[in-house]
Amino acid sequence: MEASDRADEFIPAGLASLGIEADEVDMAVMGAAHQMFWPGILGLISMDLSEVAPERDPDLSRAPEAS
Amino acid sequence: MSALDLSLQEQAAAIAAGEVDPAELLDATLARIEERNPAINAVVETFPERSREMLAAVPDGPLRGVPIVIKDEWPLPWRGQRFGAADMLAHAEPGESGPYRALRDAGAVIVGVGNMHELGAGSTGNVSVYGPARNPWNTERCPGGSSSGPASAVAARLVSGAVGADGLGSVRFPAAYCGLTGLKPTFGRSALEGHHVAAVTETIVSGPICADAADCRLLGSALFGEELAAGDAAGLRIGVVRNTVSEDVAPEVRDACEEAIEALRGETGGEVREVELADLEAATLAAVLIINSEMLNGVTPEQLNGIDPELSPINRGFVKYRMLMPAAAIVQSKRMRTLMRRRLAALFEEVDVIAWPTLPAVAPPLEAPLVELPSGTLTADQANVRGGALANLTGIPGISAPVGLSADGLPIGLQLQAAWGRDELLLDAAEALERVNGRRWVEALPPLAQQAEPTGV
Repeated sequence: MEASDRADEFIPAGLASLGIEADEVDMAVMGAAHQMFWPGILGLISMDLSEVAPERDPDLSRAPEAS
Repeated sequence: MSALDLSLQEQAAAIAAGEVDPAELLDATLARIEERNPAINAVVETFPERSREMLAAVPDGPLRGVPIVIKDEWPLPWRGQRFGAADMLAHAEPGESGPYRALRDAGAVIVGVGNMHELGAGSTGNVSVYGPARNPWNTERCPGGSSSGPASAVAARLVSGAVGADGLGSVRFPAAYCGLTGLKPTFGRSALEGHHVAAVTETIVSGPICADAADCRLLGSALFGEELAAGDAAGLRIGVVRNTVSEDVAPEVRDACEEAIEALRGETGGEVREVELADLEAATLAAVLIINSEMLNGVTPEQLNGIDPELSPINRGFVKYRMLMPAAAIVQSKRMRTLMRRRLAALFEEVDVIAWPTLPAVAPPLEAPLVELPSGTLTADQANVRGGALANLTGIPGISAPVGLSADGLPIGLQLQAAWGRDELLLDAAEALERVNGRRWVEALPPLAQQAEPTGV
């Protein structure tokens, strides 16, 4: 199945599954947000970062420890 | 010159030397807020009796008696924060936040609360439960966000220093739009306690907004709880990145920043190197996703169904959309963070700072915050986040310093970012920039701050 950025499918289903109510204005805002963010989210999820060993409890005040 | 128009350092020194009475300075500051604030809506609340009580009890610290504005993001003992919103989706009550304690212990007097972009969710400052803050350089323009009020207040010289918070650029952006210096500290170095997501955030820091780097050093030292020692930035190795963040920029902003970078190189006897920093777009999105997941801290569907109708339509919709962000994207964002942290660690072996425009264009109109860039017309938020998010994603410090004015008289800011813990170097570099241009841009005043002064001390 191909990925979709269709807000009219994803958003109502997601909201319904969480029991979140939304009016027309909310839906319009979420639709715009979805168009803006979803392609990037799909791109990010699809990136192969398997070579990047995650930092455990990273101390963001310091440089990372050598990988 | 009125004591109101002295720098933060000068005010502190004059009080310490007995040349200025801090009680008179406080009264004059309150009078100036009353006089100038209606045009800019920078300060949303003053509390003269609380400020006088604070002054009566101040210790003999480095900021003794100096009036400061603090963003509506931090609780005070007499006031819970509102986060610029009718409904912040979190419990807020009065209390001693970290920045409050830091200011109190340094002897400062909190004179007012600064406006902010609603929920911290914008780079313009044009949406707030209090109404928009305005830019003193042109009151029809955005002051920047989300620390809109603190920056606007300092630019209009209501106060000489203010405390903001920065989660994706919220100290640096308004500093740039308002012609000021704003420091986003290394994550964890500045006071954070009391922020409503302090327990979960890996992005947000408190930071100083002042006219110049020396004042940021002084106010920053209070927020850090340690002295930010001065150096000289000699031999500064400046990295420039040739990608969207430096290329998709309004020509006058690009020209001013390139000129400033070359001047900084000359002043420090340093060098400029082109460096690679791949995947900046994905890293920006990662930062946006992480901070939005942090803002979900404790938010329930029930809360969202009972959301205050006075919250702006954009945020009423967006806070619901946050609930739909896939967990896989958050996990991947944290891998991206690790990747960028390692790349930056390697990069900072080659250079001391990375330089790029703080913002790609000057402050847009409040009514329609759009920016014209070589790539086309974008919302200011879309364009601005590109330059701000990396520091919050990875924890490194960043500073915005004023480097010019556009043809229509609006400020331009240059951002410098350095390795973790090198906040002092950023201040040194900003001071070198001030020296080389004769402090022209840090001493430039907006029209609102050039008015004749009836309330001087």
